[in-house]
Parts: sequence; C-alpha cells; structure tokens
Amino acid sequence: MAANESAPRSHEGTGVTPLSGVGSAVWYDPNADLELEAPPAAEAVDPDAERERFADARDRARAELERERERTAERVGEEEAAVFDAHKQFVDDPQITDGVEAAIDDGLPAEHAVEDAFEDPIAQFEGMDGRMAERADDLRDVRDRLLRLLTDADRVDLASLSTGSILLAERLTPSDTAQLDPDRVAGFATVEGGRTSHAAIFARSLGIPAVVGVGDDLESIDGGADVLVDGEDGAVIADPTPDQRERAAGGRDVDVREEPVETADGRSVEVAANVGTLAELEGAVAQGADGIGLFRTEFLFLDREAPPDEDEQFEVYREALAAFPEGRVVVRTLDVGGDKPIPYLETPDAENPFLGQRGIRRSLGPDADLFETQLRALLRAAAAEPGTLSVMFPMVATVPELEAALETVESVAADLDSAGVEYETPELGVMIETPSAAFTAEELAERVDFLSIGTNDLTQYVMAAARENERVADLRDPCEPAVLRAIERTVAAAAAGDAWVGMCGEMAGDPDLTPLLVGLGLDELSMSAVTIPEVKAAIADLETDDAESLANRATDAATRTTVSEHVNTTTDQ
Amino acid sequence: MERTVTVVPEDGLHARPAAKFVETATEFDADVRVAPTDGDAVDAASMLAVTSLGVASGEDVRLIAEGDDAEAALDDLEELLSTPETESEAEPET
Repeated sequence: MAANESAPRSHEGTGVTPLSGVGSAVWYDPNADLELEAPPAAEAVDPDAERERFADARDRARAELERERERTAERVGEEEAAVFDAHKQFVDDPQITDGVEAAIDDGLPAEHAVEDAFEDPIAQFEGMDGRMAERADDLRDVRDRLLRLLTDADRVDLASLSTGSILLAERLTPSDTAQLDPDRVAGFATVEGGRTSHAAIFARSLGIPAVVGVGDDLESIDGGADVLVDGEDGAVIADPTPDQRERAAGGRDVDVREEPVETADGRSVEVAANVGTLAELEGAVAQGADGIGLFRTEFLFLDREAPPDEDEQFEVYREALAAFPEGRVVVRTLDVGGDKPIPYLETPDAENPFLGQRGIRRSLGPDADLFETQLRALLRAAAAEPGTLSVMFPMVATVPELEAALETVESVAADLDSAGVEYETPELGVMIETPSAAFTAEELAERVDFLSIGTNDLTQYVMAAARENERVADLRDPCEPAVLRAIERTVAAAAAGDAWVGMCGEMAGDPDLTPLLVGLGLDELSMSAVTIPEVKAAIADLETDDAESLANRATDAATRTTVSEHVNTTTDQ
Repeated sequence: MERTVTVVPEDGLHARPAAKFVETATEFDADVRVAPTDGDAVDAASMLAVTSLGVASGEDVRLIAEGDDAEAALDDLEELLSTPETESEAEPET
C-alpha cells in the first residue's frame, strides 16, 4: 500500500450523467445512528409518555413526507412523488400502530417498539417477488424515519450540505434524493443502484454528476477526502491528480444557449436531447435543447404488470410535446426484445437477443396490438400540441418492414378518422441501426420524412462486436472508417430522398466529434441533455468548409488511428 | 353489506392505487374490509394489509362494510377500483 499512497485510487461504477465534479466527500449513513441500545427495564418506562412520543414522531413524519412529496412533484414529477403517499399510509397503518402500542404496553420505549413492530412486516415483504419486495424498502424507509425522529439521531442534512460536497452513500432513497440541492452537491456516488434507480433519474434531471453501483469498494474512501466523480466514465477517484481535476472542472464552463445554433457561416444544425423518462424533460429544456431527438418509450412499459393504455400514453407524449412548443419531439416506437424483459410480454430466450426478434420485428409480430395502441396515442398527441411530433421505427432491416409499419400508421389513421377522433399524421422516420438499413438507405429515405442514425447499435452491428462484451470493446468505436462510411452513405441517401437526417447515438454528444459530424452533413444531433451546451458551442465555432474537408479526410482513412489524428488536428487548431 | 368489484387500475392494489384505496376507506366511519375472492378479509384502512394481498389488475375483490355510511363507502371504493389510474391522474391542475 505504501508505494501506492500518493497515486489516486479509482473505483468503477455505472456513470449516470455525462458530467464530472470534484469536491469533499461526505458520507451519508443514516442507519448508523439508528442502532438502538438495549431497552431499559420495563418498570423504568412510562407507557403514557412513550405513546405520546410515538404520536409526536408520527406527526413530524407526516409533515416531512408532505414537504418531500411537494418538492419531488415540483422537481421530478407526479409519478415519482406518489411513493410518498404510500409512505404516509404506512405511518398511519393501524396494523403497525397497534403493534407499536402493544409493545409500549409491554414496557418498551417507543423506538424499540417501532423496531419490533416493523420487523415482521418487513420480513414478510422481503420474502415476496419483484415489486412486493420493493415494499420492504418502503417500510424500512418509514421505520428509519420514525426511529430518527424518536432518537433525535443526527442525520446529515442533505438539503443543506456545504457547497462542493461529494455525497457518498450505501444507497439513496427517494426521500434522500428529493432533498439534494444541485447548487451545493458537486456529485454523488453510491454503493448500490443502477441506471434506472430513483437516484440516477434524479441526477439526470438535475444535472448532478453521479456514479451508482460502485460496490463495497466505495467504503474505502474516507469522509473529508478529495473526490472526483466522473459520471461519464463511471469512475470515482479519491485524491485526483491536478490534471484529472482540471479535466473534470473543464466541462461546465459553457453557457447554455436557449436559441437554435448555426455554424459561423450560417448553416443551422438542430441540437436535441435524448430522453428516457418524463423526469428528464426539464433537464433537456434547462440545457437549451431545441427539441427531443430520441424519446425512448420503453420506460412506459417497464416495471409494471400490464401495458399502459392509449390514454396514459397520449398524456405522456402530449407532455413531451408541450415542453417544446416550437421544437420537434422524435418518439421511437417500442424497442424491446434485446435486453429488457417485460413481465407481461413473452420474450423467448434467444442465443443472440440483439440479433433476434426486437424493435420493429416485434411490433409487426407478437406485439402488433401494443404497436397499434402506441400509434393511436401518438397520432392523437400530434394534434393536441403546437410542436412537431415525429415517430421513428427501430431496428428496421428491410423495405417491406418499413412499408408494413407505414401501412399500420395509415390504418390507425383511418380508424381514428372514422371514429371522429382528432388526430394528425406525424412526420415518420426510420432509425438506421442495421448495416442492411444503411445499405438500403436510399430506398428507405424515399418512403419517409427523416432518417436517424443510432450509432451505438449501428457500430456494434457494423463491427460485429456485441455491446455487452468487454473483450471486444476496443472494436466498438464509431470512428472506425467502416462506421463513418455507413454514416456518410446514409446522409447522402437522405439528401437524395429529400429526407432530413439526424443522429441519436452517444457519438452525437461528443463535442470533439462535432466538426466531423457537421462536416458529414447531419441536420440534427441528439444527445444526453448535459452535453448540449458544449456541442452548441462547438457548432457556433465551425466553418462548414473546414468541417467538410475534415469529414472527407476521415471517411477516406484506412484506420481509426488516422481518423483520430485528423479529428485532433482540427480540434487543436 | 358486501359487494364484489373488479380491480381496473393497471398497477392493481399496489403502491399508488393502494394508497388511494386506504385513504378513501379511512374517510368513512364504517368499518371496511377487503378480501380476495378466495381469501380472508383484511382491514381496508391498513396499507400493509391491503398491499400484502397482492391483488393484480383484472382480479375481483370483495368489499365488506358495516356501519352508518357503509353504502357510501362501498360506492366510493367501487368507483375508485373501477377507474383506470390514468384518468384520475391525468388532470392534476385543478
């Protein structure tokens, strides 16, 4: 260890926001303070006084929950806030309160009585599957709140952390995340959690650098240590070097431009946000997105027991459109079958699910009913708000697939028409993700209004290098000449077919690659909201001629190394 | 007084619908109990008891109420369970 003492220690987790922050570590460990000592002898306890303490703790818990509910509804959304309604019901649950009072009558102090009364219900829910097991988390959250109020345990006050704090925790509950103030918290990292945890969603919507799921390793970082949280690479670095610090601090000095951006010589490029949940809309607007370039609809379908109906979907699409009254919202129809199992959909095991029945292949097959319902909701939403709604189909590999999808849109429109329901046919487009789509981009472009290049999947399929296989991660670089030529081909096909062309993969959000992408001729770039200011700034600095000459040199290159050299030369100038 | 109702909200009697159900049940003086078709009745005022029934969308439940406003309680709870979640949540701006 001694030899390593001055070297920065890096811990790997899942980065959930492409932002970095440096600050001073603060450990948040609410449960550490809640270890109760052995209860005093029953004769020493006054049951009446304990009942009163318990009633008082419940009053304060209710008031706290009400405040946190309001705050969350305002900052994240109604859906996330609803969890607090359930918590309030647990605070008042007669089964629990009866249990607590019985234990007090047996001579226990209120805090011990609370601990006892929650024990069985928590164990009961823990033994159940899926969402029922999540209720155990809710019960623990409620129990710990009551214990904290009863014991006056010191808790790090999350709402008033000092500016420049990096919060470290085992996990962050909805109640915890609701209190974080993005002006004070420079970032957070958690031992547990994944990309779709409450904490991750909150971090994205508020633009807080965050890494989740680091594992027990995180606990080797002491409170007060200097820590860098890199939400892009998923790294948490204790005692970062001056060089690492500087890079982390660099990204955030760019001003947000609310208005659309043009190159120095006047070519406009739309800069839009990729959004996975409604909670992220606010962040997209705050970072100056011109619209939404990729609205993933999977979140509507995951983590529930039945698919959302037409009206529920209609409201969600309408809300997304309402956030950009002058912009465009590109909604991708349901793309499942790869890696995201949905309980109520039958997804047979496949050797290579990513090369199997997913995306449009399911929508035209086993999920035809879901597809129609989604299209009905989309067509109705298009008529409901002033912004432009666009709909695109994922994983298209052939022209007949696209034609079948377009026919479904027509038949849905005819149904709505004969039922007298107000609707509008949105712009329609295809995602270019498969090599076959890139090779038939001319024929696809003739039939739609736009093409959108999904570089993450396109790269894995062009390079035959699976996204989840770390051993071939090196091959999965969108700057490989083969991928660049697939992009070049797609852009030319779009121009010939009078369609606009965008890009919605991670490549689009890398400001170092902005000159290359503008040079390739993309009309729209869509990315995680937090990188929008940098990309807009990069576009404003560009001369189209320079960008085009870079793109020519890059697509002619034989290797990725040469492409990088060309890109770096341009960036350094 | 007893009534059998089919649960319509897509989440069944879980987090949010259950919280609303319990909230409504406690608004009445009547003693309200709820039971799955093939199980024992539990206290409708207990979030814990209601969620642990694990009732999914499309299943039937028996509502049992006793007391002065039993009928009104059953009416309100039936309406709640027959209303898709989205409709009651769609217009929060009122």
